[in-house]
Amino acid sequence: MSRLEAKRPSLCKSEPLTSERVKATLSVLKGVVTSCYGPAGRLKQLHNGRGGSVCTTSQSAALLASLPVTQPILKILTTSVQNHVSCFSDCGLFTAILCCNLVEKVQGVGLTTTTAIKLNKHLLSLCTEYLKSEICGCRIPIDFGSTQLLLCLVRSLLTSKPACMLTREEVEHISTLILRAFLLTVPENAKDRIILGKSIIVPLKGQRVIDSTVLPGVLIEIPEVQVMKILPIKKSDSFKVALFCASLSGDLSETGEGTVVLSHGVSLENAVLDQLLNLGRQLVSDQVDLVMCQKVIHPSLKQFLRTHGVIAMDRVGVALMEPLSKMTGTQPIGSLNSVSPSSYGSVKDWCTAKFGFKHFFHLIPNETTVCSLLLCNRNDTAWDELKLTCQTALHALQLTIKEPYVLLGGGCTETHLAAYIRHKTRDEPESILKGDGCTQTELQLMSEAFCSALETLAGSLEHDGGEILTDRKYGHFWSVQADSPSAVNWPDLLSRCGCGLYSSQEELGWCFLRGAHHPFMPQTCLPREASGSANDLTLDCFTAKLSGLQVAVETANLILDLSYVIEDRN
Amino acid sequence: MAVVGSVRAALQVAEVLETIVSCCLGPEGRQILCTKPTGEVLLSRDGGLLLKALHLEHPIARMMVACVSSHLRKTGDGAKTFIIFLCHLLREFHAITDKEKDSLFFKNIQTHGRHWKNCCQWKFISQALLTFQTQVLDYVMDHYLSRHFLSIFSSSTKKRTLCRSSLEMLLEAFFCGRVGRNNHTFISQLMCDYFFNCMSCESEFEEVFELVDDCFVELKVGVTGLPVSDSRIIAGLVLHRDFSVYCPADGDIRIVIVTETIQPLFSTSGSEFILNSEQQFQTSQFWIKEKTKAIVKHLQSENVRLLLSSVKQPDLVIYYARLNGISVVECLSSEELSLIQKVTGIAPFVLPQASSQYEISNTALVKFCKPLILRSKRYVHLGLISTCSFIPHCIVLCGPVQGLVEQHEGALHGAFKMLRQLFKDLNLNYVTRASDQNCTSSTNVYKNSRERNQLSEIVNSSVQRPYQGTVVKNEDELAKTHSYSKVCSNLVVPGIELETYIPCSIPEVMPANTYQTDETLRYLSPDKAKIIDDHEPFIESDSANSRTENTRIEISFENVQVTKIAEKRSILPVRYKSLEMSASQSYCFSCIPAGCVLPVGGNFEILLHYYLLNYAKKFQQSEETMVSIIIANALLGIPKTLYKSKKGNKCFPQIYTRALHALQTNQPMVSNPAGLESVAGKYQLLTSVLQCLTNILTIDLVINIKRLPQEIYDEDSEEEL
Repeated sequence: MSRLEAKRPSLCKSEPLTSERVKATLSVLKGVVTSCYGPAGRLKQLHNGRGGSVCTTSQSAALLASLPVTQPILKILTTSVQNHVSCFSDCGLFTAILCCNLVEKVQGVGLTTTTAIKLNKHLLSLCTEYLKSEICGCRIPIDFGSTQLLLCLVRSLLTSKPACMLTREEVEHISTLILRAFLLTVPENAKDRIILGKSIIVPLKGQRVIDSTVLPGVLIEIPEVQVMKILPIKKSDSFKVALFCASLSGDLSETGEGTVVLSHGVSLENAVLDQLLNLGRQLVSDQVDLVMCQKVIHPSLKQFLRTHGVIAMDRVGVALMEPLSKMTGTQPIGSLNSVSPSSYGSVKDWCTAKFGFKHFFHLIPNETTVCSLLLCNRNDTAWDELKLTCQTALHALQLTIKEPYVLLGGGCTETHLAAYIRHKTRDEPESILKGDGCTQTELQLMSEAFCSALETLAGSLEHDGGEILTDRKYGHFWSVQADSPSAVNWPDLLSRCGCGLYSSQEELGWCFLRGAHHPFMPQTCLPREASGSANDLTLDCFTAKLSGLQVAVETANLILDLSYVIEDRN
Repeated sequence: MAVVGSVRAALQVAEVLETIVSCCLGPEGRQILCTKPTGEVLLSRDGGLLLKALHLEHPIARMMVACVSSHLRKTGDGAKTFIIFLCHLLREFHAITDKEKDSLFFKNIQTHGRHWKNCCQWKFISQALLTFQTQVLDYVMDHYLSRHFLSIFSSSTKKRTLCRSSLEMLLEAFFCGRVGRNNHTFISQLMCDYFFNCMSCESEFEEVFELVDDCFVELKVGVTGLPVSDSRIIAGLVLHRDFSVYCPADGDIRIVIVTETIQPLFSTSGSEFILNSEQQFQTSQFWIKEKTKAIVKHLQSENVRLLLSSVKQPDLVIYYARLNGISVVECLSSEELSLIQKVTGIAPFVLPQASSQYEISNTALVKFCKPLILRSKRYVHLGLISTCSFIPHCIVLCGPVQGLVEQHEGALHGAFKMLRQLFKDLNLNYVTRASDQNCTSSTNVYKNSRERNQLSEIVNSSVQRPYQGTVVKNEDELAKTHSYSKVCSNLVVPGIELETYIPCSIPEVMPANTYQTDETLRYLSPDKAKIIDDHEPFIESDSANSRTENTRIEISFENVQVTKIAEKRSILPVRYKSLEMSASQSYCFSCIPAGCVLPVGGNFEILLHYYLLNYAKKFQQSEETMVSIIIANALLGIPKTLYKSKKGNKCFPQIYTRALHALQTNQPMVSNPAGLESVAGKYQLLTSVLQCLTNILTIDLVINIKRLPQEIYDEDSEEEL
């Protein structure tokens, strides 16, 4: 019986952006994401009334994943940010805030959407061209000879996630660990193409953060009982390893679609067990020292192997198969009958180790591209946040290896970029318009909106009511404490700019970011020594930020372009 | 409850739809956001999709949507224009009936009730619409409009080859109406590049279009979270799967396709496997293992480095494949496999039953086979070597949200559909009204030819102008065209003496004539029109000379028609009349040739409007002329909507007067067109709208039934049993 039900007609709304409700929800979302932004960002506690754990976070990935959004326009925005985050891990809040700001500012300008969208695109390409060009004044090339800048990048990432609840020393500790874990995955003798290894994050909750550590190789958690059974065998060189992906539990595998008829007294279980024991004999005679299986090993086979001095590990799980196979050089074995000797691999050594209250079986490889990052934090929510941050940092490092640049963080890239665009649109508007049918006045209006969206974004790093300044030489970001006396000597109040590259000792001509601006050309071409000298810079991942900028502008254009919303209410 | 079905009600519905649809029409159109009950968010400018998403309740609206979707199934384009045109038509009809309540041709039915009278009146009009379609529209298309057609093919060679710049213009115009304002140039460039990359030789493009249209889902990869500008074309085929086993290989890589597990199983379905002892079980397992090993070894010895499987292979097969350095991709869809088979021309590998020695014939070479990572998802990237005219390439479409990626996918697919339609000839058949009886025929024919002649005056002058245009462009051509016209006039002279020469002699000239070239685009018709003009004066003079020759004149006239058709390389007329038969009607078969395009931006509508009005002027008041005028006026609604937001020089009245002026003075309407659109598509749209309108007009009552639909039993079949 088919169920017949008339479909309800859809709800069709015109000009959705002008509606008060949409404006209100947009500003609520903007408030939520803006208040999370940066090292001083406020934390959000998400708890579902229907159950589940409470999550304390300030990261866009965690925040947007559990935020229920029904408004279609907000949905576009949040899914776009989430998609960005799943590609690049970093710069999610940046994208979200910029997109909200752009929508708001462009609406305020009052140009027709056609013009606004067209100009937005021109301004975006101006930004991306500048950021990719050699003269870019907010981009630092990475020298892989030193770890200084990479460490700065990781440290900036960790400090910008306050929900990890790390102290200063802990930040230092964790960022060195992350960098070490990353460097361990880089193969030593790479040919033309580098294939990075893997760093596995092993949870250890309830311990001090300082106890976190990085170990080369793989850690497999084992119950305490088994620890006793692993006897230290000392051999001169390496140990032989066999890794099974087929089940060794003794159950019958595929018998086909037809029927199998058994005569009375024939026990297939026995036959399979015989087969397994034969396999065991072969393994012993091949002098295998360690047998690991993705699935279950039959207790009889386990016992047999143990009596012959072979260590058996089962239920390794599919997640560890690839790193194990990579690390030991084994071919996962899918056959129960006979094993080709070429599919065995080797490890340098193994040992058992106890971290916190957990016991681990630690495999030490001959050649390291796989490592384990043992991550500790005090409680579950903080650990989850820290884990997410570590993954983000590792991903950012991987992206940096592909495109060896970093951007200045701490709001300096945004203010610098805004200054650059202001100057460019004032100075050479024809080259930007390219005869597109827009007037120069329209371009001025739009560039003002675009720049103030960028500057508001930078300004949202400040949460404590402080003032934001910018200098008229580099166009960097400077913040002043909230209750500082006005009309004083600025160099006394300021110390360093947002990214930490420049100090207030120079006379830079500060002015308020929010005030009226006279366009100036910010100094391009970063001095070479600048990158080397400062060791406490705030940096951002280049690839992620560039893509975030593009996605934010494209999404804003998309939202501005909407003329109708058709809601299917079935 | 019954609702009176009237033009007024239909107009109200159409106007509502028009307001929604017109906001996303044309290059200035905006996006519409649709949410689905599942929570998905879709961005769209596709009219058909929007109309479906509205879930309309009104019966007339539903009828319109049904008409639109059946039109879309045919052509894949024009849903928005459909609604706008329909709305304008209804508006015109509504206005006209308000004005002339008792119009001249409905006087006889005044005794009926007013509503029923109205209905009859609508019935009349809908019939008039049908006759318009069969008699006027195709005729006007064929006789007047066709001389403005441009061709998408470059005319440098005799074969049909695509002209890249025209294709770019066509696609640009298409995507202007389909994707967001910032992306249409990018997407149309991408599609153009894709198409020219995929084509192995320039003349076999139709096959490529067909294949891409059919297998589009397999040929594109959607990636969310990246900016649109990261979309690109990848050489080779991307399979939406990851390697189960990946062994890097260089050099001579061969692939095989399997559709079953390589490992022999204990028993196949429908059979029984009897086990008598445990040894037997172990031996059979051993045999299975050895057999699998042997097959994989053999594959390896045949240089097979990649196994493409439509099913999941057991662990044992994977293990041996890995040992032998064979990469494996499992669980491929049947569509993916059939695409690979089409491209490479190989058949699935059939497992040998008994012997261990066998040949593997069905392997194909690939250039490379490697993993491809897009947004941390892994794909299989194959460099297939094609054996057909399609060189495999894939489009990677990026966008910040899934909705946008889907929009671009839909637009690309629609573009392929549109192009496929464009490369087909579209037949036009129409009835030309000629004489009824022999006695009156003389005057009629005379009158007819007079009319023609009047028209041909316009035609004549309009023909000369393009020629002059081309003269400026190309001097060689001048000589050519001159020689052609010379040939024509030469041939016409003997034609006066003996009419029967005409049908055979003229087609000989024409093929040469149609190959007349110019730089990128070609005017299809001027020569042809010229020939007709050359004939008609002579016919006229003939008939003026002697009235007894009437029948002959008629035939010669028909013959001219015949030659005209012949030159267009289409079917010859089916009915060829004998001398004695009086010509009451003559059926003409013609076609819009493949690849005909017009500049975008309401050009088709303005042209048709102009010629329909011209046509209507020549006849006295009749239903037909009235319908023609109404349709002509309604056609203007489309350019009106297109230029709604434009100001100054680009506003609609300016454009319209400029176009009319150009037509009257026989200048080209658009000097440098920004985009092109398919004529056949426009024509089909027009006929679909007229059909929809006749459907609406013939309904007098809408009866709303609140019951569940009853099941309909097929009584006939039961009786037969």
